[in-house]
Amino acid sequence: MITSEEVTRYIQNIPPAPSVVRQALDYARAGDLPKAAKCATEDPALRHYLKILVNRPLYGFKNEVSDVSQIFSILGLSSTVQTLYNYLLSLLTPKKWELFALTDHQFYDLQASLSKRWEKILVHLNIDDKEIHSTISLIPATIIVCEALFASHKADVIQLRSVKALDFNTILKRLSGRDLFDLAGEIARTWEMNDKSINLIQAASGLQSTLTPTEKQLAQWIHLLLFYELSQGPYVSAGLNEFIDFQIDFVQDIYESFMQVIEQPCEQ
Amino acid sequence: MRAVIKGRIGVFHLQGFLDGNNAPSFLTIDDIKATEALNIDMLLVSLKKVIFFNKNGLDAFVRLLTNIRIQKHIVVGFCDYDHKKFKAINSFYGDELSFSLFKSEKIAELFVSSNKSESKTVLLYNTDQSQRSAMAIELFDYGHNPIVAQSLAEFEEKKQHLDLYYAIIEDTYLGYFGQKVATRVTGNAIIYTVSNFLDAEIGSTFNIAYHNNSLNVGFRLFIFDAYKVVSMNVHALNFFTKLSSAGAEYNATICFVGLTFEKTPKAFKNDLEDAGMLFFDSMDEILKNKELLSDLGGGGGATAKQHRSLTKTLVNELPHFIEATVSTIAMMTNAQATKSSVKIQTLTVTDSTDQVASSIGFYGDIDGLIILVFPRAIAKKACELLIGDTNVTDEDILDSLAEFVNIIGGRAKVLLSENKKRLDITLPRTYTDVKTLLEIAQDKKGVQVDLSFEGQNFIFFLTR
Repeated sequence: MITSEEVTRYIQNIPPAPSVVRQALDYARAGDLPKAAKCATEDPALRHYLKILVNRPLYGFKNEVSDVSQIFSILGLSSTVQTLYNYLLSLLTPKKWELFALTDHQFYDLQASLSKRWEKILVHLNIDDKEIHSTISLIPATIIVCEALFASHKADVIQLRSVKALDFNTILKRLSGRDLFDLAGEIARTWEMNDKSINLIQAASGLQSTLTPTEKQLAQWIHLLLFYELSQGPYVSAGLNEFIDFQIDFVQDIYESFMQVIEQPCEQ
Repeated sequence: MRAVIKGRIGVFHLQGFLDGNNAPSFLTIDDIKATEALNIDMLLVSLKKVIFFNKNGLDAFVRLLTNIRIQKHIVVGFCDYDHKKFKAINSFYGDELSFSLFKSEKIAELFVSSNKSESKTVLLYNTDQSQRSAMAIELFDYGHNPIVAQSLAEFEEKKQHLDLYYAIIEDTYLGYFGQKVATRVTGNAIIYTVSNFLDAEIGSTFNIAYHNNSLNVGFRLFIFDAYKVVSMNVHALNFFTKLSSAGAEYNATICFVGLTFEKTPKAFKNDLEDAGMLFFDSMDEILKNKELLSDLGGGGGATAKQHRSLTKTLVNELPHFIEATVSTIAMMTNAQATKSSVKIQTLTVTDSTDQVASSIGFYGDIDGLIILVFPRAIAKKACELLIGDTNVTDEDILDSLAEFVNIIGGRAKVLLSENKKRLDITLPRTYTDVKTLLEIAQDKKGVQVDLSFEGQNFIFFLTR
């Protein structure tokens, strides 16, 4: 099925961030939103993405927002960085989803929903860190990597899973020594995210044993948030609910707090 | 979502959150149709990785389970939960609980037929005495040894000695159950437990697919444990005579043990004897008499007098079976298995030390048996994707080998369907050593293909 060579080839072919986005990211990280907006305006695809994203019902704006400077100031610093990473990730989505019955719009909805809920969680945890804030953007990369690696092996996987409840992450790990979260971490590395984010993405698998208390806490919340989202009807129908193994024991002790945070009404 | 099939059990493995909004998304119409077409004895929904569920969420699955139970007379329910989830399900359904609840999949497996012959000692407790008795009877009928605690105090005391029991059965509930004839394997004999008054219902409660599978994988002795049978009518008589005649093609022996003719017409006995059925007073009369056991076909399967020879059609399909085997190995290991020789002969294993084997039968437009013999290390390597690289027991290797031949059988089925040949596969069977296998396969001519994988040889053998 999938070989280590294929995985290595995949990593080598991860495209670097386009220069306009990289520049916009640099300005946003440095806290200069007007310059970041000016850069972003130069990329029509990014402009379009931002417009579509911010006008989704999840953001709750009554009037259409289309100006990039306006969008960035609405989002704020942390969310702008996060949104730029979301855009980068959207560039990796396949032309046609084959493994998962997903549409691009559903994928963008997932990105948006993860971002909004992660924001609430970080407020609850009293964490204000742009890098940690951005990390959530790279979690859906696991879905993109999974689609890219397994789409041509769909029939094999179906046959394998008819006799054993194996998730894609475990199959990949056993065949290549690396899992989907490692590969999402590689994407983050290529896009020059810092080590804190890369480590956190990898820890979100819930399978790593050596984590600092902070890493563990954040990884637990990301893992549970991911499964909360993947349990939504459209993603269940798309086949995303079973693509990685839910580590229920890993998240059990934060479940009550998680539900309290998630069920709080959104503040606009 | 599709159920994962292990032996005679299908299990849906859900994850995350389950409520009324998302539950219907787990089951498409295709999933429901595929589930209805499964040839299984038990269908379960695992709650192991469900962190939250409510009644509306469970209801979507309960509807499917109930429909399947009514259609197929199989056991349905939920498994893999903790005490809190068990209490929640009970509070949702209360007295309307018609499905079963098994604390773990391991416990559920004790309540279905399998190709394994080990009798397991289990500790059992339930506050409801009727549940306690029902479980004990079912477990006993499936060949296990249930130790029933009569009080909570006794249970807690006995529970301390974990090493004495294969499983501790608590927080378990039998819903509509016992509709299938209980089946167990003892050595190379299959024992069916029948009870009460036998009538036309036996046709639907007896698992004919399992029986045919057992014939196909080499079982030759079938015993009906009929101590609890009061009487039978002419419909049941017809059923048994037909069963006996059908078994004759395989040279199978079918016996009744403990059947009295106080209320059953004596003429029935003559009719059954004419059909080839044998009668014994006690189980020990057969099982403890090795010579008789061997004569009847339960001594290892070596007694088949009529050898079913290879057919041209079967040999013509050989490339598909080899392709199924080689491609399964390639899929599971990313390494290629190469063919070193192909011969028509009896199964020949030159070095039988430290070898394990598995077999799977198939029937339909063509019928036969695929046997694989592996050095233990190669078996482990071939199944690494299924078992991981952690420390594994021999039982894990054998279980994975069963899953492995199941995939091969599934692939062969797909490849042959492209040639418009319909095939069904049996339950896989595994062998801890090749001695038992050789007893079953000796004198059977087949196609032996010696294959090489990572520098070591293994055998593919196709026979009838």
